[in-house]
Amino acid sequence: MSSMSIAIRNLRHRKMRTALTVSGIVVGVAMILVLLSLAAGTSTQTSGLLRNVVGSEITVVNSTTPSFSGGGFVFNGTFPGRGSGGGGGGFVTTFGAGNTINETLVNSIENMSGVFVASPQLSTSGYVDGGNVFLYGIDPSTYSQATSDLTITQGSDLSSNGQILLNSVTATNLGVTVGSQVTVGANSTGGAKYTVVGIYSSGSTFGPLARSGYIELSDAQNISGREGLVTEIYVKATDPSLVSQIASGIDSISGVTANVASTIASSATTLSNTMTTFFIVIGLVALLAGAFGVINTMMMSIGERTREIGTLRAIGATKGQVMKMFLSEAFLIGLIGAIVGVLIGIVVSFALPSLTGAAASSGARGLGGFIPGRLSPTLTSYNLVLSFALGSLVGIAAGVYPAFRASRMDPVEALRHV
Amino acid sequence: MSEALVRTVDLKRQYKRGKFPVPALNGVNLTVGKGEILGIIGPSGSGKTTLLNLIGGLDRPTKGTVYVDGVELDKLSDAELTDYRLRKVGFVFQFYNLIPTLNSVENVELPMAFAKVPAAEQRERALNLLEAVGLEARADHMPDELSGGEQQRVAVARALANHPSVVLADEPTGDLDSKSAKKLMEVMKSLRKEEHATFILVTHDPIVVAECNRVCAVRDGKITRESRIGEDGKILDSSRFVMDALF
Repeated sequence: MSSMSIAIRNLRHRKMRTALTVSGIVVGVAMILVLLSLAAGTSTQTSGLLRNVVGSEITVVNSTTPSFSGGGFVFNGTFPGRGSGGGGGGFVTTFGAGNTINETLVNSIENMSGVFVASPQLSTSGYVDGGNVFLYGIDPSTYSQATSDLTITQGSDLSSNGQILLNSVTATNLGVTVGSQVTVGANSTGGAKYTVVGIYSSGSTFGPLARSGYIELSDAQNISGREGLVTEIYVKATDPSLVSQIASGIDSISGVTANVASTIASSATTLSNTMTTFFIVIGLVALLAGAFGVINTMMMSIGERTREIGTLRAIGATKGQVMKMFLSEAFLIGLIGAIVGVLIGIVVSFALPSLTGAAASSGARGLGGFIPGRLSPTLTSYNLVLSFALGSLVGIAAGVYPAFRASRMDPVEALRHV
Repeated sequence: MSEALVRTVDLKRQYKRGKFPVPALNGVNLTVGKGEILGIIGPSGSGKTTLLNLIGGLDRPTKGTVYVDGVELDKLSDAELTDYRLRKVGFVFQFYNLIPTLNSVENVELPMAFAKVPAAEQRERALNLLEAVGLEARADHMPDELSGGEQQRVAVARALANHPSVVLADEPTGDLDSKSAKKLMEVMKSLRKEEHATFILVTHDPIVVAECNRVCAVRDGKITRESRIGEDGKILDSSRFVMDALF
């Protein structure tokens, strides 16, 4: 007769009470698991959402380049061109002379852990049909993943060399449309023929930035004579919480600086963490209620079994043996509750997306599909283990005080108990 | 009388009820020989159960000492006293106090489990004891499937599981009909021989008294008289003794 088998007998002796007590733990564990899964799912959705809305999270530049911050298109300094008469050209020249970084860095950054994508850009100045224009050399396969700067309104994205995207203002000024041929070069007189494949909207209608165009990175490198060089690398993390870690990793590479869109990244992380914390607190409260159920049942059981405890002590059971008997009962309640709770939690987690599906689509449409209307919990092995462990631990923890009380009973008093 | 197994010296026990100390035992000197069946009788509240609890190591005296098998109980720590109860004493209660979730044989095994006796040995000893009390056929019955007399015989078997020096029974027949009471006393008498056990029985029951070797009457926390023993070793005029002791 081990204390464990005695505990099993006692739990089976009062099946209804055991079932009710166990269900308290079941509810707590299932809730914790579902809420943890929701939190995990939401945080995945949140980072995906933020990747779409926000520009690149990190902009890597040569560490001697004047400070750059934000989503990759906001300058901290004053525009040198502004106010100096007819200085457009002057500004562009200055801009084009920005310090460069080696293109091979793109690969090494992309291989860093937590990096979702790294996309290079070479900002330079050039001439389109004789007019001075900002030229951005980009890698079209990764660019739109890394930043949201470019929104094509007509035509299509770059697909090969010799193609150019112009912003709507530039296109209007030059009198070209999708399909037109333009001459692109480093100065106003020479250059090669490019096909306009797309028109994009530009945030600013006035000022020098209004006149811009996108071409393939290698084309831009040719025009500016900076083979294998780029001026910026836009980086996105798989999860906003990883941004600062990645940034410090990049900073440790000599010659470059990682500028973080810090407020956005950190507030995204905070939001995600707050939701997770909120969910966990709700789950813990449910589990706490279950724990009180166990304490209540155990205390009731000890009250009823006072004479039994007195008998056990009289026939030679030690305090430790009595304690172990009752702890075993509480542990078993927690264990069964944890097993059933995890199973129910898994079922609910799988069922939730389809249960919430109908309500989701209407909500999502209104917000441009950015806000996740459909609840999609993500089950992780960590959360499975965590909720299981919490349930079993709660059983034991809730059993400690009642078991202690049982073991400290005065046998003479206990035997006199009717 | 054979050599002394249990000896109490000027045993006193007071309880506090509010501010006032209430004496339960008031200087008891008692010697119990090995192999004896000693009856203790007396009216309610006379201190019988207190005396039993002190000998059984469930309670500690306010004054005086208890020696059992040469050991002075007062010198034992709480843990040692628990071990003393486990190995040297067997308890039998008025209401049997079997563990309701365990069957007969498991109830008998329980003290051996506490003493960490190997499982196979436990089972063998428990079945032997159940046979000795005539309940081998009821080994797998739960307590609520047994009559009061049968439950009490299981309790006696449990009390003897760890080969105790002394079995202490508090009104063992108090809840039994006379037929069951007689059967129980027969069982105790035979076990006394087979197991070389000593019994101290607190009782009101003339059936029990008739089977004792000696009877003490307790009143107001003191032993007031002892029975006379006839030439055949039996108590003379047991009913008369009980009447005198109780009223």
